[in-house]
Amino acid sequence: MKCSFCEHELTAEMLRDEGCGACAGGCRKIHCPYCGQENSVVPGIFDRLFKSDRPDEGKGSKS
Amino acid sequence: MSVLHKEDGSDRKIVLVGCPNVGKSVVFNSLTGAYTTVSNYPGTSVEVSRGHCQIAGERYQVLDTPGMYSLLPITEEERVGRRILFEEDPFVVLHVVDARNLERMLPMTIQLIEAGLPVMLLINIIDEAERIGMHIDIALLDEKLGIPVVGAAIGRKRGLGELRQAIASYQPRPATFAYAADLEKDIQRIAGLMRGRYRLAARSLALLLMQRDEELQELMRAGEGENAAAVAETVNAVVFERRVDLHLRISLERKRICKGLLAGVISQRAGGGPAFAERLSALTMNPWTGIPLLLAVLYFGLYKFVGGFGAGTVVDLLEGAIFEENLNPWAIAWFERHVPWYWLRELVVGEYGLFTLGVRYAVAIVLPIVGTFFIAFAMIEDSGYFPRLAMLVDRVFKRLGLNGRAVIPMVLGFGCDTMATVVTRTLETVRERILATLLLALVIPCSAQMGVILALLSGVPGALAVWVVTLTGIFLLVGLLAARIVPGERPMFYMEIPPMRLPQPRNVLVKTLTRMQWYFLEIFPLFMIASVLLWAGKLSGALDWLVGALQPVMGLLGLPHETAAAFIFGFFRRDFGAAGLYDLQTNGLLDPVQLTVAAVTLTLFVPCVAQFLIMKKERGWRVALIIFALVTTLAFGAGWALNRLLLVTGMPG
Repeated sequence: MKCSFCEHELTAEMLRDEGCGACAGGCRKIHCPYCGQENSVVPGIFDRLFKSDRPDEGKGSKS
Repeated sequence: MSVLHKEDGSDRKIVLVGCPNVGKSVVFNSLTGAYTTVSNYPGTSVEVSRGHCQIAGERYQVLDTPGMYSLLPITEEERVGRRILFEEDPFVVLHVVDARNLERMLPMTIQLIEAGLPVMLLINIIDEAERIGMHIDIALLDEKLGIPVVGAAIGRKRGLGELRQAIASYQPRPATFAYAADLEKDIQRIAGLMRGRYRLAARSLALLLMQRDEELQELMRAGEGENAAAVAETVNAVVFERRVDLHLRISLERKRICKGLLAGVISQRAGGGPAFAERLSALTMNPWTGIPLLLAVLYFGLYKFVGGFGAGTVVDLLEGAIFEENLNPWAIAWFERHVPWYWLRELVVGEYGLFTLGVRYAVAIVLPIVGTFFIAFAMIEDSGYFPRLAMLVDRVFKRLGLNGRAVIPMVLGFGCDTMATVVTRTLETVRERILATLLLALVIPCSAQMGVILALLSGVPGALAVWVVTLTGIFLLVGLLAARIVPGERPMFYMEIPPMRLPQPRNVLVKTLTRMQWYFLEIFPLFMIASVLLWAGKLSGALDWLVGALQPVMGLLGLPHETAAAFIFGFFRRDFGAAGLYDLQTNGLLDPVQLTVAAVTLTLFVPCVAQFLIMKKERGWRVALIIFALVTTLAFGAGWALNRLLLVTGMPG
């Protein structure tokens, strides 16, 4: 997944990080460590339903 | 990270580095074949792949590092990537870059070379670059950089032979790139003091120390011993002297070096794809063309699509045709027939009922507006416009004590101010965070509030213009004054601009659905809670008392007393208040002047409960209460002044 502001890659490690606790009902967002943008974490169901053909749209820490 | 490199006498090592998604893993697999191991790097949870290959009879170990953008690490992956570079004693560091983004990725090649590493550059995905009309003169870049450069499309097996040959015949060639004289002097001041032996070159270490790299500060202390204090003192002096723009200067210098290196190296075929995107990108950042383009984005994206289509067409259909004409009368009639208890009927289908007010507001009024806003936002976001907007408004924001970085919370504020207030923590200084929090609480309407207000005002000639001019004026005036009053530093803003592109339908859809899910999970319950509180307030008489208490204020603003309820709703949630205003207008209770005054005052009026609580959490009680008092005073003060002015001038008609 890419940051929607600066387009740096957000890695699987970051996605597993705990949220800041500000959101009721648990964290579904991830702050980009490079620019601070708050990105919504794509729920698994949407990810599976609309799977990208492009390799650079997937999640993961590896290139 | 160790001071000296390890000498374990094993195979020669090829270390692959580069940004994510440049094809490093494809290069790794092409070199190593099937027999590879993946394990966590010692002491971390970051995975590193290792494999082996034979090139010209020599056995090599190949390491695939996690993606990294710079030698100055921000994430755990980047820290591990850097440790591998300096602890694994590589024979070759193969920097893999995407040919299409060579200009963005070359600064890291410069960093690797100036660190003294044995660098080779692999320009990958060159077939895609050629397809969009780019031509890269590999030989010229090789000559200018002073390191071996290979052009390839490894995924298509193109250039693999040349790569293997280049590795087999690799000979380190030292190269130096000069920064501007003043910066060079500071680098030498620090590098010249260092006596320790390090795996990375002294000038590279000096640059990273200047950028406050904590891990390397430890390394320097261990390597310098008694000399460490003198080095640290010089670093601190340089950092203090250059506190305003150090990172910016270093980034701009590297950009300048790369521009020089790429001059004559990249050529673009006429009519190729990126030329238009690059031209458009430049136009969005130039104030003369960028501001009209911004106005066009706001007009079509917000006014026409969110305000006209979402808040007009879709709301009319859902709220008018479905809820008001069918669902609500049916639900009310059913409850009146089957439920004898007044309090329960009121709770579900009464004036502030869970269904008749809560569900109707959430589903029929606010949802279509936030839904269309999320679509417009995702399209703009996916095109790469926002970083360009940040560069465009940087100059204006600097006068407000902020910089282009504050575009992120400000733009997010148009989605939800509460969420945006959390994001202000990413701004560099406390001063910026306070100023951004104040402006968010005061002037930035959330998407639903703005959508409803746009829809309401667009039917009254001149009202929308008065609303826009008043809010923009207050935004600039309060920002300018606050920037002079609130003390603190003014950091520079610099960011790499990602490429501009056509929004991908899949990305727009996924982002919109994800945000809609967030809306239902987090915002919908708040509407229900607000309905219950209003119901309890009505039954206990507390709501009447509150509306009564606000009546003199409404009178000063020239508004009917019923408007007080919309302001009370607004404190639960901004969009809830806007929906209340929508109800008043559709019931014919407001004339054009009253509608304009109510819209301006309600937009400026206190942040909702959730935003106030987040303000308190992020900025503390003192700042939160000061902002609360300031915003309330300014909102009603501006409403009163606007009412007087509009009555005198007779606008809007």
